[in-house]
Amino acid sequence: MLSYIVRRLLILPILATGVTVFVFLLISMLTPYERAALYVQDVPKRQGALDRLIEKYGLNDPIHVQYWHWLMGQKDPDTGEVKGGVLRGDLGFSQTGSSSVAAVIGRRLPATAELALWSAVPMIGIGVWLGVVSAVNHNKLTDQLLRVFSIVGWSIPAFVFGLLVLMIFYARLGWFPPSRLSNWALEVVQSGAFTRYTQINTLDALLNLRFDIFLDGLKHLILPVTTLTYLNWALMLRVTRSSMLETLRQDYITTARSKGLAERVVIWKHAVSNGLIPVVTIGGLVLISLLNGVVITETVFNYPGMGSFLAQAALSLDVISVLGVTLFSSIILLCGNLFVDVLYGFIDPRIRLH
Amino acid sequence: MKVIKKLFSNPTSLIGILLLLAFAVIAVLAPWIAPPPENSRDPYMIPRDGFGSAPRPPSEEHRFGTTEGQYDIYYGVVWGTRTAFRVGVVITIFTATIGLAIGSLAAYYGGLLDEVLMRITEIFQAFPFLLAAITLSSVLQTVYGRGEAGPLMFLAKVLAVLTFGHNPSQPVDPIQLQIVTGMLAIISFGWMTYARVIRGNILTVRELEYVLAARTVGASNQRILLRHLLPNSIFPVLVIASMNTGAYVLNFAALSFLGLGAQRGYADWGQMINFARNWIPSLADHWHIVIYPGVAIVLFVLAWNLVGDVLRDVLDPRMRGKGNGL
Repeated sequence: MLSYIVRRLLILPILATGVTVFVFLLISMLTPYERAALYVQDVPKRQGALDRLIEKYGLNDPIHVQYWHWLMGQKDPDTGEVKGGVLRGDLGFSQTGSSSVAAVIGRRLPATAELALWSAVPMIGIGVWLGVVSAVNHNKLTDQLLRVFSIVGWSIPAFVFGLLVLMIFYARLGWFPPSRLSNWALEVVQSGAFTRYTQINTLDALLNLRFDIFLDGLKHLILPVTTLTYLNWALMLRVTRSSMLETLRQDYITTARSKGLAERVVIWKHAVSNGLIPVVTIGGLVLISLLNGVVITETVFNYPGMGSFLAQAALSLDVISVLGVTLFSSIILLCGNLFVDVLYGFIDPRIRLH
Repeated sequence: MKVIKKLFSNPTSLIGILLLLAFAVIAVLAPWIAPPPENSRDPYMIPRDGFGSAPRPPSEEHRFGTTEGQYDIYYGVVWGTRTAFRVGVVITIFTATIGLAIGSLAAYYGGLLDEVLMRITEIFQAFPFLLAAITLSSVLQTVYGRGEAGPLMFLAKVLAVLTFGHNPSQPVDPIQLQIVTGMLAIISFGWMTYARVIRGNILTVRELEYVLAARTVGASNQRILLRHLLPNSIFPVLVIASMNTGAYVLNFAALSFLGLGAQRGYADWGQMINFARNWIPSLADHWHIVIYPGVAIVLFVLAWNLVGDVLRDVLDPRMRGKGNGL
């Protein structure tokens, strides 16, 4: 198992390189004119000006030269200033966000992180709890019902679910509005009196002791968090269930029972601590599901995060922005998967001792 | 035979099969239960009743009401059944074929080829699926927007021929081209599960005695692969295919919902729900613009998932209760 982790560590650079090559191949499907946005802020409308830019940045060079320039950046022959370079964090200019793609990601990421962090707690909590309940009542009515529920849940698209909760809790009842903050709260947050430590509104509100803003943030988060949670709990449930079923068959559980321990203790103390270990392995899947989920969820709820930016950019065929966000997300995913692998080896004593 | 018997005796899968049958009947009978207007050029374009903006509630004339732009929802839901079947089935055939080819080549030949193919598979898996599909469809739309002929255009044509029965000598219709673009994006990032599962299965089956027996009697590589290994490791592919058909329809609907799949006014469930985004504050009055197409998607996807879930249990008892092979 340890060798597995080492192997994953060694493969990571290969995968990361593969991801950049793939993204660059997609970029190279664009014409040099369309690619000029990688280097210049505003693509000038005059034909001649653009031709000079293409010449200057070598957008007609052989593809491997261009890949290198795209990766490492390129010296501007006039000013000597290095421009571009994905490794330097320069992902080009976003027409949709009217600033650099990196800056847009920087602005939008905290909102998405806030959404994802708030979703993680109920998602894991509900999924694991129901998974354990399902395994303990194996093949009984509760188990069957939960199974049917999870299949039905699996079949409802996020946008239908999101629109349904909006229909009920916003349009009908007026409880939880879309977007991220109410106008009055947004004014306070953007004013000088409010320090934005983390850009995560609910956290900043607590640090600034503005509980009214904290509550307003929560009110806007409840529906999107519910949608993201619903997208993932079925997955958690299934993995927890099957792993718990394996654990409950082990001898030490029989021993614990025969010692006369209460069933509650046997399950929640003895079985869960081992049964939950494999659940960690789906951390990567959950991360994928969150990254996919935020695109739809943020779009439905008009929530200003990375996902809604991606959808907006894709719709206006702003390919440079779209590729930038996708590249960024895949790198997050690669790191997340690595973290999960290492964590798995760390928390499972059987693996640690090998 | 055992499989079919089990599928029909299990109540969950029976519901799934009945639902699929009902959808199939609706799809076949579409021209009779929702006849296109006489002057219509393309029956897949939903007829409009005027050009007013606000949706109208269900009435005598429009059973499910109209959505923004006065598109008839009943008509769209009925003809959308055909779109869902076409999109789902064609994507499944393509992803399964690509996955089968890559997985079996990697497993059978092993060594360097296996290493390279599996790394490529992992690179494709390193992208979050929906993000990758969105990205690819926006790149492809830009490329197709130029209207140049080339290998990509050829690929689009092949898909259009298979999906819509398009006449190969004609250029692809722009409305169909946009749908094909979305499908291509999903196909490109949807084959990896098949490749990995089929590879794992062949590696297991390969060690069994009867393959050795075949080799001793002098069967060729090709014969062993096609006659012995593939047929014996193909069942999991069927399971994944039935589970995934639902997922593909769901993802295509998501693309359409974002405005990247079917065009405005096309009989496609996701596209119809896209209109609802402009009416969120008044959804309580315009519930019908979400509910009807929404229920259609949910039931369609649910049907495939119910069948897939039971298939999984029947074909492979070891997989009972495990994750859905995402």
